[in-house]
Amino acid sequence: MTDNPNPLPSIIPEKDWKKIQRMLSKRSLWMIHFCTGCGAMEMPPTMTSRYDMERFGIIPMATPRQADLLLVTGYVAVKTLKRIVRVYEQMQDPKYVISFGSCPINGGLYWDSYNTIKRLDKYIPVDLYIAGCMPRPEAIMDAFLKLMKDIDEGRADGWLRYRKYYDKYRANQMRVFKRWDE
Amino acid sequence: MKAIEIFKELGIEYEEMKVKGNSTPRYRAKVEPDKLEEIIKKFKTQGFKHFVALSCVDWIKEGNMELIYHLFSYDTLEDVFLSIYLPRDEPKYKTLRHLFPQIETYEREVHEMFGVEFEGNDRLGEFILEDWNDMPPMRKDFDTVKYVKEKYESVPLVEGRGDKQ
Ligand code: SF4
Repeated sequence: MTDNPNPLPSIIPEKDWKKIQRMLSKRSLWMIHFCTGCGAMEMPPTMTSRYDMERFGIIPMATPRQADLLLVTGYVAVKTLKRIVRVYEQMQDPKYVISFGSCPINGGLYWDSYNTIKRLDKYIPVDLYIAGCMPRPEAIMDAFLKLMKDIDEGRADGWLRYRKYYDKYRANQMRVFKRWDE
Repeated sequence: MKAIEIFKELGIEYEEMKVKGNSTPRYRAKVEPDKLEEIIKKFKTQGFKHFVALSCVDWIKEGNMELIYHLFSYDTLEDVFLSIYLPRDEPKYKTLRHLFPQIETYEREVHEMFGVEFEGNDRLGEFILEDWNDMPPMRKDFDTVKYVKEKYESVPLVEGRGDKQ
């Protein structure tokens, strides 16, 4: 091909390089689970020996800055949303969001509650929804596998959408917040 | 001292409420707002040392707000509910946090959810709700469905994959 005696990584075309990146990042998901709502109950069996999500390379992380997968585990109150946005914005790209249970899809049980936002993806991009009230660990594992596939194929692009439509997301957030200072 | 004896001594009418599965009845009494403080003090000295909860009911048809002070005695294992009625359009009462400190927190909650004023409680600010912009949500004339439509359903979807309905 070429006579370059010291091939540099840049020789790999950009497209392939991205592919390798995705292939690697799908195999090391560090998860931060924002335990809102009831769904957090299903996380301990998923994390521990019974279902053991670590065999897929997913490990819980304590801080958002070192995590790349955000799990929102149930209904989201306005007050909680503010914290979720904070957490989400602290995470480094690429980052993925899985939202958990019926409540963040359309309000679920709290469809007429004065204090829960009904659809999470109006405020932050969501890569994957798990339906169910609440979803079983099998469903969660299934979602993780689906997410890994999506990452591999480049379809989990919520973080890119958040960058691109940042103004719109922020405008939606500010429709439910009165102020953004705490 | 038994709750019945205290009620008799104070000359208050009371009502016994049978609870399924409980052998002891619970006692409920309607009292005058200005006498409530003295009555709670009396109960407190007679063994009702546990203040369980303060709750509020909005009786919209009668035009009243009912405040229910719930006390419990570990000596006799009895529950007592003392309720006062306030006018619904201007519910105002004085704070009783000097009797039991936890009343302060209940008053903050009742203030936020029902709009009852407690004179003398200086911590009645924003509490559980954040960024609230409407009437207190637990009042019966608050229309949650309408509020949800206006506040949450009207928020537009952001473009991208999310807008495929
Ligand atoms: S979907 Fe069901 S389990 Fe999950 S937060 Fe809502 S009510 Fe709770």
